[in-house]
Amino acid sequence: MAVTKMKFATATHTPINPDQTGLPLKQQNLKALLASAGCALLAGLPNQVQAAELSDWDFEVATLVYVEADSRVTALEPVISATRNFDSETKLNLKLAIDTLTGASPNGATPSDQAQTFARPSGNGEFITRAGEQPLDDTFQDTRVAMAATYSAPLGRDWAYSAGGYFSKEYDYLSLGVNGSVSRYLNQKNTTLTLGGNISADTLTPEGNVPLGLSRVAVPGAASFATDFASSRGADSDDKTIVDLLLGVTQVINRRTLMQFNYSISTSDGYLSDPFKIISVIDDDVSGGNFGGNFQQAGQNLYLHEKRPDSRIKQSLYWQTKYQRGNSDIIDVSYRFMVDDWGIDSHTLDLKYRWQFGQHYLEPQLRWYSQSAADFYQRYLTASNFAATTEVSADYRLGDLDTYTLGVKYGYHLPEGNEAYARLGFYQQKSSGTSGIGKLTSQDLYPETTAMMLTAGYKF
Amino acid sequence: MLKQLLSFDAVDNPAGHPAPELSRTADFFVLRFQAMASPCELLIDLPESERARVERLARLAVKETWRIEHKYSRYCSGNRHERLHQQPDQWQDLDDETARLIAFADQAWQLSDGLFDLTSGILGKVWRFDGSDRFPQAEQVEALLPLIGWQKLRWQPATDNGTNKPAQLYLPAEMELDFGGIGKEYAVDRVLGLSIALLQQSNIHCHYSLLVNFGGDIACSGPRINAAAWKVAIETPDQQEQTAALLTLTAGALATSGDSQRFLLKDGQRYSHLLNPHTGWPIANAARSITVAAPTCSQSGLITSLALLQGAGAAAYLQQTGLKYWLVD
Repeated sequence: MAVTKMKFATATHTPINPDQTGLPLKQQNLKALLASAGCALLAGLPNQVQAAELSDWDFEVATLVYVEADSRVTALEPVISATRNFDSETKLNLKLAIDTLTGASPNGATPSDQAQTFARPSGNGEFITRAGEQPLDDTFQDTRVAMAATYSAPLGRDWAYSAGGYFSKEYDYLSLGVNGSVSRYLNQKNTTLTLGGNISADTLTPEGNVPLGLSRVAVPGAASFATDFASSRGADSDDKTIVDLLLGVTQVINRRTLMQFNYSISTSDGYLSDPFKIISVIDDDVSGGNFGGNFQQAGQNLYLHEKRPDSRIKQSLYWQTKYQRGNSDIIDVSYRFMVDDWGIDSHTLDLKYRWQFGQHYLEPQLRWYSQSAADFYQRYLTASNFAATTEVSADYRLGDLDTYTLGVKYGYHLPEGNEAYARLGFYQQKSSGTSGIGKLTSQDLYPETTAMMLTAGYKF
Repeated sequence: MLKQLLSFDAVDNPAGHPAPELSRTADFFVLRFQAMASPCELLIDLPESERARVERLARLAVKETWRIEHKYSRYCSGNRHERLHQQPDQWQDLDDETARLIAFADQAWQLSDGLFDLTSGILGKVWRFDGSDRFPQAEQVEALLPLIGWQKLRWQPATDNGTNKPAQLYLPAEMELDFGGIGKEYAVDRVLGLSIALLQQSNIHCHYSLLVNFGGDIACSGPRINAAAWKVAIETPDQQEQTAALLTLTAGALATSGDSQRFLLKDGQRYSHLLNPHTGWPIANAARSITVAAPTCSQSGLITSLALLQGAGAAAYLQQTGLKYWLVD
């Protein structure tokens, strides 16, 4: 065999003394000269992959501006994300987001043919909603600061893990969480199994203390306001715990197709109501002149603080497929089905198509979301049924709901590897439900919401 | 897995090579194409999901190789090589790349005491290393000697002192530069370097590894992503046995030079295709094959050639370099 005839040699690395070899100096420095000749020839091109040449830090800064039609709510959310790359698979990601929400949000009460006076949720001050208008809590203003850190690293060749924590603080809300995941690669990394978990502990401390579910909302102007207010409030804080578990499979189907399936289960326990949401009690006395108007007790409209169950179990199935076409365009389709023990079923379908034009890409997105109402969702209570009600919410986010999002993202890959992008999205939300009784039928119980979102970001 | 044919515009494929093929083996991508009279390969160790990036890389590699081939080919018209020879007996400006190759050749010439000489390619007009016993006439060789000799041309590196004067070359009439001896190794290094640079610039965050193999001139970016070594088969002189030596490579480059196909046989004596530029005749007692491992393919190729030019002194010469080598007598 030819191989056996080959002499294998590794020269010693002992420096050769010029005096002993008697060779010209030129040859003494052969190695050094060769090295310098070779380097100059390649004019600085790399010839090895070095971990150090991976950029140590990657940053992404982005700002989201969200504006609802008629300027009801505006949100501004700058996000800074920094990733420290220790090597190609070991990294620490730090994220800081600050969002400012201002505007007014529906408090859950129905519009009425009469003006309605509401106390602010804190008990300090009041606001009047004119006849036929949506009752909006205009004190909805908050600044949230959120920070998250995630560390991910390989565990040997076939495993990887991640561990993280986050912190989010608003004026009256604190959320702390930890999360982790373990992934196992199979079939030469064509299959990835992931098991992930997340635990979060949230504490809310609303101004004026935590409302008691189904207690009467104190109405300004009543002589007993202070007493009523005090009796509708409990402790100064309450909390909830959320535990999520996720099981995922990511599979490379063929050279152009990637598919992902996730199953997740999430349990929430504790105070799950929204302290700012109330529900109207409507007069259902068909024979009276106020049929369909606000039911009154002691000369004041009756509204109750909402009350949701103190636990919730959500399960969801998620499927996503990404397909890359021959021209590098990417089709991304995903669908999620969610079901919970509150009686909500939801479907989310998301379609994205990314056109690659050299350094540029354009990505239109269409998203449809539809949910059925929670068992305890009611747009309003009536004088006949409120006393027997044990759980109720008029929050539109728990009602029958469809939302549509139409978006388009444009991105530009800069030659040095950085990326600038902007995304414009239009969002429309439509609710539906019973149309009310008596006078209430002439009120718009399910107003549409439209919003515009603009995001601009830069990765470097 | 399916082979994907990559199509190129005619302007990027002046030699009209067949379309390169991109396929995937069990766990890495393989790009195969033709250039410089050799089968060329680029092995790209990246997961299947990175195919889009791999295609970009493959196109870059092919374009760069064909660009270098065309630029320095002795058989094309209208290329840089031809223009270089259309201005004899006068100073002409050099582009940066040509200047770097000339500087490299100049150092090689000095390091080899004049044996490595880009101007000796002209001897190919009378020497045909086809395995036969047909030697040229002594007068034919003699007639070419005045056109050989690196010392007869003059060149000036670019000046960096603010005047930005480009490098210049003075090439006497009828003399020819043959970049064939360094072009392929240079292309291997360029393809590897540009590929690594592309991956680094694209902010890739998975491990990757690359191996370039142009007809046995090889360079890799490091070990495979599974930390194993690349396994490369290199041709050895024993054609009858059809065997190849299997080498493992985790870093750097390899180049092999020998007379497996290019030799003359007379009276039972093999004559290597390596010619002594001083005499115009084959180097005596040249090793049949030398493989050298060095950080870059250009360096490997240069040492391999310089060692072969030492004739019987090849092994001693190789030992001085401190590099790993394989030698077949």
